[in-house]
Amino acid sequence: MADPVLAEMVHATGATESRHYAAVKPVIQAYRASWVKLAPYRDGPVNAKRLEVDDPLAMTARIKAKAAELGANMVGVCRLQPHMIDLGSEVSHEFVIACCVAEDYDKVLQGPDAVEEEAMRTYAKCTEIATALAAYVREMGYPAIAHHNGASEVQAIPIFYQVGFGELGRHGSLINEKYGASFRPGFVTTDLPLVEDRPREFGVQDFCMNCNVCQRNCPGDAIPQDHVMTHGIKRWLIDLEKCYPYSRLRDEYCHLCVDACPYIVKSHPETYKAFMKERKQVGYKTPKSY
Amino acid sequence: MEKLYVNEIGPDGVVSTVGLFYSQAEARKIVDLLRANPDRASHRYEIVEAVRHTLSEKQANRTTATQKE
Repeated sequence: MADPVLAEMVHATGATESRHYAAVKPVIQAYRASWVKLAPYRDGPVNAKRLEVDDPLAMTARIKAKAAELGANMVGVCRLQPHMIDLGSEVSHEFVIACCVAEDYDKVLQGPDAVEEEAMRTYAKCTEIATALAAYVREMGYPAIAHHNGASEVQAIPIFYQVGFGELGRHGSLINEKYGASFRPGFVTTDLPLVEDRPREFGVQDFCMNCNVCQRNCPGDAIPQDHVMTHGIKRWLIDLEKCYPYSRLRDEYCHLCVDACPYIVKSHPETYKAFMKERKQVGYKTPKSY
Repeated sequence: MEKLYVNEIGPDGVVSTVGLFYSQAEARKIVDLLRANPDRASHRYEIVEAVRHTLSEKQANRTTATQKE
């Protein structure tokens, strides 16, 4: 178990594996198997006949179109910076292409199992997209490695911020104005000449200072009131010791902080309203099936 | 569990929180990895109890405010 906090908490219960992962349903198992299966193909031979890139802007548009064709809802590009790489890992590529697949938010009304299945479906889709996109770039004669749930050396949130997908929210996930925090990542690092996107700020951090909906709905009280600052960005650091009893040590999936985030309301007004009515009925902090 | 913040203090004195960690060993491991990065040679690191993070944050805000003046 790679996560030392989870390992200690699981050990304290006398178990050897997280209850959530041990009780995995066949459909979830199949999605997980799909990204494990694709992990060996994240890198591969690079075409010796390199396509010269005279117009990086046109190449960026081509890459974004390809990612969209593969099924990405958002695609962005930035230079790969040291803070985007896992500590202790090395990735020498110059750029990172970020892709995301939005979750079907309407699943929130079908309960935690449907939400979990949807999350895993999108992770699996992101894995497919990143793998295929990396192969597409290598075919043009440039090195490219896919990063996804099966294997990754990059950090999603700083990359998503840098490519302009959104801003960091109180619940610790990135918030986009259209998809809220209901989307999942896949990446390709490469030396293909591209043009960078820019971070976009549209008031999320200020909004989160006054909106406590995720905090009010968190069954474990894991979302803090106070924030810290990291290079000028507000971060509300989730207390894993309080989060894991609900998100890792139960059979049932917990995704409530993301599902309750009001940034989804513009794209899904009726679903959000119905979901929050349910939340109110169960007393906000209580998982639906408790 | 112990709760510790690792703070990075830049050459300009600005404090930036690296993250929340749950043991001295885990926090020290992160600090060692950060110190091994030549790009961060001019940075200092502190491990503080999580309850004290707001002090560092206020300090960071003060430093930033001073710089703006």
